Amino acid sequence: MERKYLYVDYLTCIGCETCQTVCDFIHDGNPYIRIYVTENKQYLPINCKHCDDAPCIRVCPTQAIYRDEDGAVRIAEDRCIGCLACLQVCPYGAPFYSLKVKAVTKCDMCAERREEGMEPACALMCPAEAIQYGPLEIVMDLVRERRAKNIPEHQRELTEEELRKSISSGFRVF
Amino acid sequence: MRGMKFSFLCKKKPQPTGKRIAIVGAGPAGLTAAGYLVCRGHDVDIYDKMPEPGGLMLFVIPEFRIPVERVRLGAKELEEEFEVTYYPRTKVMEGERLDEGDEFYERVIRLRELKENYDAVLIATGIWNVRRIGIPGDDLEGIISPLELLFWIKGNKLGYVPDEKVPELKGRKVGIIGAGLTAVDVAFECNRLGADVEIFYRRTIREAPAGAYEINLLRRRGVKWFELVTPKSVIGENGRVKAIELLRTRLGEPDETGRRRPIPIPGSEFQVPADYLVFAIGMVSTPPVNGSYLTVDRRGRLVVDSRHMTSVEGIFAAGDVANGPTKVGRAIKDGLYTAVAIDKWLRGEL
Ligand SMILES: Cc1cc2nc3c(=O)[nH]c(=O)nc-3n(C[C@H](O)[C@H](O)[C@H](O)COP(=O)(O)OP(=O)(O)OC[C@H]3O[C@@H](n4cnc5c(N)ncnc54)[C@H](O)[C@@H]3O)c2cc1C
Ligand code: SF4
Ligand code: SF4
Repeated sequence: MERKYLYVDYLTCIGCETCQTVCDFIHDGNPYIRIYVTENKQYLPINCKHCDDAPCIRVCPTQAIYRDEDGAVRIAEDRCIGCLACLQVCPYGAPFYSLKVKAVTKCDMCAERREEGMEPACALMCPAEAIQYGPLEIVMDLVRERRAKNIPEHQRELTEEELRKSISSGFRVF
Repeated sequence: MRGMKFSFLCKKKPQPTGKRIAIVGAGPAGLTAAGYLVCRGHDVDIYDKMPEPGGLMLFVIPEFRIPVERVRLGAKELEEEFEVTYYPRTKVMEGERLDEGDEFYERVIRLRELKENYDAVLIATGIWNVRRIGIPGDDLEGIISPLELLFWIKGNKLGYVPDEKVPELKGRKVGIIGAGLTAVDVAFECNRLGADVEIFYRRTIREAPAGAYEINLLRRRGVKWFELVTPKSVIGENGRVKAIELLRTRLGEPDETGRRRPIPIPGSEFQVPADYLVFAIGMVSTPPVNGSYLTVDRRGRLVVDSRHMTSVEGIFAAGDVANGPTKVGRAIKDGLYTAVAIDKWLRGEL
């Protein structure tokens, strides 16, 4: 089967939490995509990126991590020994150890839904169209098409001087 | 582009249960609840006072954040694949009240009537009233409600609002008071239309609900930011806004939200000229009742129990109308769990 990609575009995301909500809903309250809020309030939904050259697959000592036929990076829960080596090497910190399951859990690109012929729930429901799913070329096209909407209609570059002057404060005058 | 798939939990309509549900309000809460309920085999009719479904996502939030087509195609899929019937331009109300967006409805239906004609009713009417600031001069010409301004601008693009309704903003000075999601979206749209925009906020950028990231994006586009000031009055001339009178503030002890309380400094008054002023200082829930038919709390939100049911058996509520202003994802979450409760209640399991 053709390799599928699941891409979250942070420049398009509005931080509305819909992805986390629907993932939480279909996984009994354990969302595999979680929104992190930075100090200056930028919203970053983080989930497994299903990397092409996935460091977790290479490092897992029991070979519990594998790639399925759609290209999703998956965990065979019965083989996971909970050593968290995968978490050590994941640049996103995506693997999540579940005490209930006694194994690492993470986004599986909605494996159960794919088996029933449905697509990942977060991509279907994101109102901003920040999450794209499908074969690489299609995902790339959709991202380009969506990004075009973000380009401001008549943006003018401000000078540093103008930018500095654009702030006033009731405090400064006192 | 594909639409939001509100029916993401199933592939096609299952065996019908014969139960009929009326949903009032086609925002994210109402549409997501509809998606769940049709996947459980129920028949859903949706009533909304606007000309098409989508709620704030379609009529208010700017296109670059949520594309119109994304919402439109999603609502259409419910209609075409799951036989959801929409009743647009229909305000549902028990009692009377003027809300924002009322210029679009053509019919009124009483809530009691829906209660009689359906097996269950879900209210998802959101927060369609704007909080008034209550300072001298706040009724002058040139003071525009943020919701009204946003749906004039977006409604005009969608073909529902004539050009002459949209104020000519090019080169005009627009002052926006507040720093929430509404304030930044008003600032964005006015800036896009060529206005000279300044945002006034009583705390600092660090406390701004919309966040420093969004505000700095706006600054890069030429919007000015004025912090630690609070409005005292609006100065007019011949009945029109001429300036805003502000007081400087300083931050005191943290309040119940954990943010430091702004304290106005007596005697620090000064004025900033303005052609238009938009007070984006909060929005109020708008349940389809005015009177005692359903219980509301002090802030006008519908009171619901653990079953998401209002004070009348068989009438449920979800989204901002029950929770106050939140976010699209929270409204969707509430819509989903309320729909689960409605389904269980209809099956006699709750
Ligand atoms: C300017 C602005 C910007 C925002 N930006 C963001 C953002 O960037 N990200 C985010 O996550 N959230 C944002 N929000 C919040 C988000 O839009 C709301 O939390 C969400 O839409 C609430 O969903 P809802 O379904 O409860 O109500 P709504 O979307 O408000 O839908 C309510 C529906 O009910 C209808 N209605 C109301 N009264 C009646 C009546 N009496 N009879 C019939 N129909 C009625 C309305 O026409 C409307 O279609 C923003 C809100 C505003 C105002
Ligand atoms: S649903 Fe989309 S826009 Fe909303 S937080 Fe997730 S990725 Fe961002
Ligand atoms: S693809 Fe499925 S499992 Fe992964 S984050 Fe999205 S909803 Fe959750």
